[in-house]
Amino acid sequence: MNANLYPAAFVLMFCFMMPAPDVVAQTAAKPGSGPEHTAEQHRRGPKKIALTDSKGAVARLWKPDLTTLPLTVEHGNITLPRTGVDNYHAVVVEKDRGHLKEVLIRYEYMHGKPSGHSTSELTAAEKTPFEIVPDPVPREHQHYRSDQRWNFSLRFKGTPAVDIPVTLETSHGTRVNAVSDSGGEFSLHIPDDFPDLKEGERDKRTAEFSISAETKDNGILYRTMLSAAYRVKPSHWQSSGLGVAVTGFGMLAGVLLGSIGLTETKRKAR
Amino acid sequence: MNPMKNLSVIRKLVQITAFIFFVYGGTLTGYYLADKVTGALPALSCAYDMQGSDLCTLIPFQHQMDHRLGEAIAGGGGNLMMGLMPTLITLGTFLILFVFLNKAFCGWICPLGTFQELLHNLGQKLGLRRRESLDHGLVRRMRPVKWLILLLLVFGFPLMTGIGWVNHDLGDPFCRICPSRILTTLATGDSSQLYLDNANTTTLVLSLIADFMFGLMIALSLTIRQPFCRICPMLALHAVFRKLGLLRLVKNATPRCDRCGLCAKACPMDISEIHTEMQRRDVTFEDCTLCGRCVEFCPYKDVLQLKYAMIPVFSADPAYFKPRKRAQRNWEQNSLLSILKSGHATLKPKQS
Repeated sequence: MNANLYPAAFVLMFCFMMPAPDVVAQTAAKPGSGPEHTAEQHRRGPKKIALTDSKGAVARLWKPDLTTLPLTVEHGNITLPRTGVDNYHAVVVEKDRGHLKEVLIRYEYMHGKPSGHSTSELTAAEKTPFEIVPDPVPREHQHYRSDQRWNFSLRFKGTPAVDIPVTLETSHGTRVNAVSDSGGEFSLHIPDDFPDLKEGERDKRTAEFSISAETKDNGILYRTMLSAAYRVKPSHWQSSGLGVAVTGFGMLAGVLLGSIGLTETKRKAR
Repeated sequence: MNPMKNLSVIRKLVQITAFIFFVYGGTLTGYYLADKVTGALPALSCAYDMQGSDLCTLIPFQHQMDHRLGEAIAGGGGNLMMGLMPTLITLGTFLILFVFLNKAFCGWICPLGTFQELLHNLGQKLGLRRRESLDHGLVRRMRPVKWLILLLLVFGFPLMTGIGWVNHDLGDPFCRICPSRILTTLATGDSSQLYLDNANTTTLVLSLIADFMFGLMIALSLTIRQPFCRICPMLALHAVFRKLGLLRLVKNATPRCDRCGLCAKACPMDISEIHTEMQRRDVTFEDCTLCGRCVEFCPYKDVLQLKYAMIPVFSADPAYFKPRKRAQRNWEQNSLLSILKSGHATLKPKQS
């Protein structure tokens, strides 16, 4: 098996559908586009997934309570319905060609009433025979970011899939390889590969990465893919060194304030 | 004095246990926010701490002002009740917890309060010259700050962000300046929250305040008791609901109180009114953290009491006061500076 040979089973273009219906795949903001946000930007419309090759694809949405909903694939698009509960949901798209079983999984955060269920229940559930599981999924309100290392595990029919090559490929074309260990676990470093970054300027662009692997069992080839969005690492516009320096100034000011106060106390005592 | 009969020692043990649980307890409770114990803790346990077991109630309040109520108002107010509902649920959870311990969440549970106390103890042990109590005028002038922070940074700016009046970087301004965010993440080995953010003027100012205040708090804690607690918006939020809590500080004033004032000296928040108040029985003042030190250092029987649902759980008692005062004197005398001085003194005769 060579991880580099995988054709992308499904290529996803992901987008938030804002109230304007013609917004498609507009996740990327221009660098330095500024902090302007309005309440409009917080309004949540249905999320939409576009599949490049949707023929024969069957999609299901796993809710946090592990119940599932069938999803309709229309003209290569899947629109995620509102479920009314918050927390991560899993979109599972499968294709079964007899000798070849392909699956794509994507964890999507949806808003609503508190689900009362931990995401760990969703990741632990066996959603398909061959599965890449984030360990963990970024916590609620957080994101994958470039230049970060994240852990994943590979599961085949409920047991760890050992010594399987995996490949991470970003929408900017960077590829990173790894091999699952004896526990089926592996870690991958998300590359810092956003083009045209300007140091010191906040960059709100998002891009996509996918992690893929394949294995053979009883003459059937299983291909699995996990996809997710990632963002630019904030250290391009945040400085730890300066943060430490300002903290140092604060400490110095504290020492001075403390000693001035002490002098006053001593004077009063006299 | 038997340390296990010393209320301050017992409190310190509770504080350290709570610190470990709330800063590192996520390894037991779970990683995701849905795994956290309450999601509305009346103490500064930070959601930015990936290993934490709970998060403070000020975080959901800011998010709900921004993303729920603010958006509902911006949308014309048609869904105002829907926008308000998450805030009411968070407030309800907060109140259920708050009824049990009242303001003792500050004095017994809060990780940031514990950190400042431990730093102050370190200052004591290093032999740094500490300020017994702050000037009452200064204390009085500082009191409104916590209310301003609560109204503006926890509710005001997040709401204005949701409505669309100010930029999104003011959606959670208190978290952006909160020292607990920096402390608890650093405590877990994560330095990502100690930064200067150059994204725009708002983020730059907020991160400057956060880092400077964190450093200031560390240095001041060595010589002054609880410097950040005095301006903490959680203290203000507690003050609003303090009449609902089952735990109270109660005073049965006597004429002897006039001549004493040890309670006010013992108070880490410098509440002089504990001493001067002669009429009210409930002396759980807005700045009180229900630490119980005033009760410990009150020499008159039952003049100060901690009562739980009107039942006295700890009362002032001369039999407790005398050994407690002695234990405090011993504790304060045993500092690094005094050890060095005594070592120097014993060396001198040999040299001569």
